[in-house]
Parts: sequence; structure tokens; C-alpha cells
Amino acid sequence: MATYLGTHGGRIQTYTSDPDNPNTGEVWYNATANTIKIEAVTTSGSWATGGSLNVARSFMAGTGISSSAALAFGGTTGSMSALNESYNGTSFTEVNDLNTARAALGGAGTQTSTLAFGGNQQSPTSHDETEIWNGTNWTETTDMTAVRSEMGSAGVDSTSALSFGGNQPPPQNADTELWNGSNWTEVNNLNNARNQLCGSGTVTAALAYGGGPGNSTTDYTEIWNGTNWTEVNNLNFARNGATDAGTNSTSALCVGGSRNPASGTKLNNVEEWNGTNWTAVQVLPATKSTGAGNGTTTSAFAAGGFQTEPTRTTANYEWIGAGSPQVRTISTD
Amino acid sequence: MAKTYQYCVAENWGKGFIDHVESQRITFVGYPGNVWQVPAYNKHGNLWIAKVAGTVKTKTEAQAIVDAEVQAAQAAWDALPDAEKAPAVENNKRPTDITLEE
Repeated sequence: MATYLGTHGGRIQTYTSDPDNPNTGEVWYNATANTIKIEAVTTSGSWATGGSLNVARSFMAGTGISSSAALAFGGTTGSMSALNESYNGTSFTEVNDLNTARAALGGAGTQTSTLAFGGNQQSPTSHDETEIWNGTNWTETTDMTAVRSEMGSAGVDSTSALSFGGNQPPPQNADTELWNGSNWTEVNNLNNARNQLCGSGTVTAALAYGGGPGNSTTDYTEIWNGTNWTEVNNLNFARNGATDAGTNSTSALCVGGSRNPASGTKLNNVEEWNGTNWTAVQVLPATKSTGAGNGTTTSAFAAGGFQTEPTRTTANYEWIGAGSPQVRTISTD
Repeated sequence: MAKTYQYCVAENWGKGFIDHVESQRITFVGYPGNVWQVPAYNKHGNLWIAKVAGTVKTKTEAQAIVDAEVQAAQAAWDALPDAEKAPAVENNKRPTDITLEE
């Protein structure tokens, strides 16, 4: 029979706090909590509360690669906001503001290299300004080819981004623009014009899902291959104003939103894309629409927005996907 | 009829208010007014309420709190100028009533 000593090369250790980077399957005794713990692996995804935003806003943009390294910027508190908050997995910290206050803007990149583009200054007036975040400051750069807001966005950093759909100003459009680090270029349009849609992925493998048009909702999903958009299987719940996460066109999360904007009802439903189909996964602990979100299908965040209009929330939720490491307590009862 | 859910009032303090282990064990539903729904007659639900120092409410009491919050939100929405009630950026619709489950 295999023993713990035989499979792990050591006896169960005693710690006063949980070790920082335990190996999967490692067991230890936490002398402070008087419990035996194990580094396990999750079998399904789940949401937990994260550190809250400092200022409640809706229609922000969010960037980042995980729930512990993210940026939430712009939005509206009722007035257009230039606020920029950085998240470290525990708390949001206010950092340097955007140069131009705006809501419903696009965002792509990471916590230290992000592009902000378009957005609303005062509805229905849209922006075409583009700003680059270098981890410390925002710098204005080349404008978009047209004013836009409520678009979907994709891209890995401030040198590579895609903007698609949105308002120019209303009604919604299907335009796609590609950012190469210096300039925006118009490329092939979405098949379905819409606003308040989700977007994730890269400039060569992106996904557009949900959205308008106008105050209605769609379940359309389209894949971008670097040249064209192709319609693929729809979301299970049509929605707009959802938050999104995903690093390519084969994995994504669609989080919350509004199912029927005319009713004022917000959603807590979450769906995960596996490259072919959308599947319902664990719901958010509370409804949310028009918040900031980003990350991957294994580590994502969704912050701010509306739980119930017209009251904006600071609440932030963190997602871990199936297969993620997780410390569990071993019950001895 | 045995109830399916229990309710409490607790303010979401952020990180650690609901952790992943708790989230994997029971389903949480948050409502306006810091009202939280968790399964009734459930050890993990009871432990979570104790952890967050939640104030347990009957469904009727919880419904009254939610109603008051929604009515306040509806009044705030009604007081908005017409131009702000459905601007393109906000998709801003009047909040709807919420009915809690037994």
C-alpha cells in the first residue's frame, strides 16, 4: 500500500499558516486553525467575493489576465468618469486617471499594458480617442477611424487590439477596427450589427457574443479568424451588458447582463464557451450588468455595474474554473 | 410546507465574504438591501451566516427589506429627467419588483 511518505517523500508537516505554494495532493497540519488541510483541485468552477471597487460605476472597461491582476477604468457614476482602479487579488487601488472621462468604452490588454478606446462622453455623443496605459500613466495616441461606444473588444496588450460593433452613435453598427500599436484600420464587419456586446480573445482569434441591437438582446456568437467573422452556436441566454473573459476564440465566459432590458431585470447567469458550445456554469452570487470584467476561463473577475438600476454597486466577484488548485480542509468528524 | 431557503442580512465586505469552498457547497443569491438567500436546514448555510454575522430574517421580513430597496430605486428612477431614463449609454430601465422564494 502506498504511504504518504512514499508518494510525497516526507511526513505531514505542521505549519502555523498554510504554505504559499503547496503541491497538488500535499497534506499539512495547520496548528493555528487546528485542522488538517490538502491542496486539492476543483472539479467545477465557482464564484467568490473579491475586494470591492472604491467607487461604484457602470459601463467601465476591464482588462487583465486573471482575478488577481486586473484594471477597471472609466465608466459612469451618473457623471462620466476617468477613474482607474488596479486590482491585486485582494483590493482595488486608485491609480492614475484616464485623460478623457468616458463610459461604455473599449479596453484590451493587461494590468500593465492596456489600450482604452472610444466610449461615451455624454450620450449620444461618442468618442474616438485612444489611450495607452503603460502600468503607470495613460498617454493619448491615434484616434479610432470613427467615434464609437458600447463595442466589443479583444487584444492581448496595448499594441494589439480589435474593436467590433457598438454605437456610432446609435443605431448600432457592425464595424470592426484593428489596432496595430500605431493606427486603427477598418477590417471586415461583424455579420450582426449590435451594441453592448461581449468580446474576448486576440486580434487573430476573437469571439463576439450577445449584445443589442438597441434595447433588445441577442444570443449571436461570432468567431474572428484574423480576417472574417463567422457565425457559430448561440448563447443559451440572449443578453446585453454582460461582462466577459477569455484569451482566444475557443474559451470564454459570458457573465450576467440583462436578459430583457425593457424589464429592468438583471441576470446572474454565467455561460462558458468551449470552442463549440455555450454551457451554463455556476451563477454569480448576485445579479450584475454593465460591470468591468476580464481574465480567462480559469481565473476571471466581474466588478461594479448594476445589481439593480439605478443603483451602481462596488461588488466584485472572482471566478476560478474547474481544475484550479484550492486549499481544502479535511474533516475528521 | 418545509421551507427551501433561509434569509439573512449581511453587508458584503469584499474578499472572504463568500469564499470558493462555500460557493461550491451551497448556492448564494444576493438581493438588494444586503439580503442573502441560502439553503434552509443546511449546515454550511448556517455556518456561513454565523461567519458573516448575518441577521437572520423570515421570508416576510426579507421581502419587506427587498421591497423597500426596490421601491427606493424605482422612486430614484422616476425622479430622473426623461432624457436620462433611456439614454443610449445607460439602457436604463425602471427597476422591477422582486419576489423571494419560500
